[in-house]
Amino acid sequence: MPHDNPFQDQLRFERQVPECAVVIFGANGDLTKRKLLPALYRLAYDRRLSAGFAIVGISRTPLSDDQFRENMKSAVQQFSEDTDFDANVWQTFAQGLFYIAGDVADQDLYHRLAGKLEAIEAERHTGGNVMFYLSTQPSQYAEIALGLGAAGLGKGSGWRRLVVEKPFGHDLASARLLSDQLHQVFNESDVYRIDHYLGKETVQNILAFRFGNGIFEPLWNRRYVNHVQITGAESIGVEDRGGYYEEAGALDDMIQNHLLQVMATIAMEPSASFEARSVRDERSKLLRSIRPMTPDEVRRNSVPGQYGPARIGGVDAPGYRQEKKVSPASQQNTYAAVTFFIDNWRWAGVPFYVRTGKRLPKRVTEIAIQFNSAPLHLFHQDGASSGANLLIVRIQPEEGISLRFLSKLPGAGMTLRPVSMDFNYGSSFGERSPSAYETLLLDAIIGDATLYTRQDMVEASWSVVEPIQNVWRQTRHVFPNYAAGTWGPEAADEMLARRGHVWRKP
Amino acid sequence: MGTTVAPEKVLKELSELWVSHGEADAGVLRACSITLVVMAEGSDDASALGETLAALMPEHPARAIVIRLSGAGPRALTERVQQQCWKPFGLGKQICCDQIEITASDEALADLPSVLLPLAVPDLPVIVWCRSPRLVKLPEFSDIARMATKVVVDSAAFPNAADAIRWMAGAALSGQTVGDLSWTRLTRWREMLSHVFDNREYLAKLGGVGSVRVGFQPPFEVCAWLMGAWICDALLDGGVTLRPAVQESAGADSTMQVELQAPDLKVEMNREDERLVIRVNELVSCTNLPQPTDYLLMREELGIVQKDTVFERALASAARLTYPTDK
Repeated sequence: MPHDNPFQDQLRFERQVPECAVVIFGANGDLTKRKLLPALYRLAYDRRLSAGFAIVGISRTPLSDDQFRENMKSAVQQFSEDTDFDANVWQTFAQGLFYIAGDVADQDLYHRLAGKLEAIEAERHTGGNVMFYLSTQPSQYAEIALGLGAAGLGKGSGWRRLVVEKPFGHDLASARLLSDQLHQVFNESDVYRIDHYLGKETVQNILAFRFGNGIFEPLWNRRYVNHVQITGAESIGVEDRGGYYEEAGALDDMIQNHLLQVMATIAMEPSASFEARSVRDERSKLLRSIRPMTPDEVRRNSVPGQYGPARIGGVDAPGYRQEKKVSPASQQNTYAAVTFFIDNWRWAGVPFYVRTGKRLPKRVTEIAIQFNSAPLHLFHQDGASSGANLLIVRIQPEEGISLRFLSKLPGAGMTLRPVSMDFNYGSSFGERSPSAYETLLLDAIIGDATLYTRQDMVEASWSVVEPIQNVWRQTRHVFPNYAAGTWGPEAADEMLARRGHVWRKP
Repeated sequence: MGTTVAPEKVLKELSELWVSHGEADAGVLRACSITLVVMAEGSDDASALGETLAALMPEHPARAIVIRLSGAGPRALTERVQQQCWKPFGLGKQICCDQIEITASDEALADLPSVLLPLAVPDLPVIVWCRSPRLVKLPEFSDIARMATKVVVDSAAFPNAADAIRWMAGAALSGQTVGDLSWTRLTRWREMLSHVFDNREYLAKLGGVGSVRVGFQPPFEVCAWLMGAWICDALLDGGVTLRPAVQESAGADSTMQVELQAPDLKVEMNREDERLVIRVNELVSCTNLPQPTDYLLMREELGIVQKDTVFERALASAARLTYPTDK
């Protein structure tokens, strides 16, 4: 018997998903319907799944396999944004869909699951490979992992992996406790903490851009970079997630995970290889190099905000305190801006301004790297040349990269003006970009953890965020401090102005 | 327009075109990653070819040099230059590529290399896409092929499958990097078949494979031979020596059918409309597989500039199967 598949052709074949079963806890939830099933269906549509691929949905609602298939069919039809629904593809895909109703607190559920997985392995030749996806309340993560362990499902004839969604704890201690509980059943190398930001093409492209090209990396340091701005803005309010937001807030919900991971990607050292472990080691090292702040530093270098009511485009937008399930005296932040410093040789002294907020003027996520001005202003263009060189990495909504530089205006005089060189993902490569969930699900099933967050990374980012959290919790804020539809509180502008900088208006 | 083409004049015209475009519009980005030389007969549908090139440009921005052969007649070469532009959604600027069209009589074919060489963009790969099987057999073609990083043909258009395989195998043997759209048509089929044997349970049964059948409908005979040869090459790596049974399947719905059989494993593949259906014993899987257009095939081929060793091996095996007396 050959050890390796002799039919492989790495030059032309795309990555394939090995045979396996995916068990989704929370199978009737929004995430499953909006993201997971559409992503898995797309993988089937694109010939990425093996013939025996199976999905087992688990939720409390009693449903038959056929009812579950019908529900998932509706979800795929409704939420697959750019994929045609093909009845024949769906039919063969749906043959691998199964459902078990039960309460995650009931150990009998896990025994029934074990029986179902055995049957699937025999019928669909999945090789005993199982990925458990926890799309439930975070408070159930430990309970489910321990339930799986007690039923002997943490190990099997094939590989076993566990995927968990954020938040990974609500502070350093709870993050550690959660990891300890998961590790009672799964090794750290089998735990995949999903951060969908890392699955976005542009975030991955940061690595290609920095380490695939020879011309940018020499400039990527304190000598040439003046400062970096990372913006994760949303135009909507908390909508009907007021209850969740009262617990989390902008700092915990966005900066602790997504934006610090993005910052780590933009600032990490080159890894020795593109192996998951090497890349994650460097990202982790960077997170550990972020300077934790003293309470005084927190007050100078961070700004919390909360949106107040406003009229946007002729429509009244409620303030945060007027949203459903939100306390009328809430002290929760819906905006957070923080100045981080990285204590390493590459970045010492370079401010990294990170901001996120709800009800900002537009939905945009981007990184702006501001390079130093030319040392001598030869062309007497003080206004134009200050901050002339700017590299913008746009993550959403339009993924791409722009480089701004000065150019001479055609004509006799020596007048300079900024011009922009743009690379747009959607247009430069006409091919459809896979969704973040397609990328991440494929990676997890293949066993590539490069884009997943590791325990030490989670702990490092909590170590950075917790001092800010503590000071903010002890402070009585004067909220609301920015109107919906604006770029946040004035204090955030002042925070940058103290260093002679200004927030970009993306 | 004249009866000869001066490359410097063509380049000057291109340059003037860029200047006038820049004046008329707010901004134009010039993009180029390859020189794509397209050789087509005068009878080849010009508008369909134009649409294919326009579709390819956003993903493989190129200086496209389209050579149309006008057939017999006095020695004559004429040219015109234009741009292929598109405006990406969300961008204020247009992105444009050069396009040069040269019309040549058969007599003037020998003059083409001296025109093409200076028109090729420096430091970038030159890919020659020859759409006419008649042209590849002309002695002048070899001079054009020699300047190419890669020559792409479509063997399905050749009148005789065995001759097509023999010509391609000969070119590959001489060191030419060759691409064949018949091979490109097989990528998704090969990928799905390969995927079956990613499963270790099925991989363990590979040694028992006793027959490989590939059925085809014209004009996909070369596809079928390449598929059969590729499967048997892979089986050979797995310790199994087999000769594929390649046969025309009259009246079948699918353009191609593939079947591998072992005592306890049967793998069948066939196309059903826009889908590829694969049966592995009792399991059936169905995936999306659009009919491959020239655009889809060339999009893949233009992405591969280096030698494709798997193809070259399958080509050499197919040549041995169809011309067993050759060395």
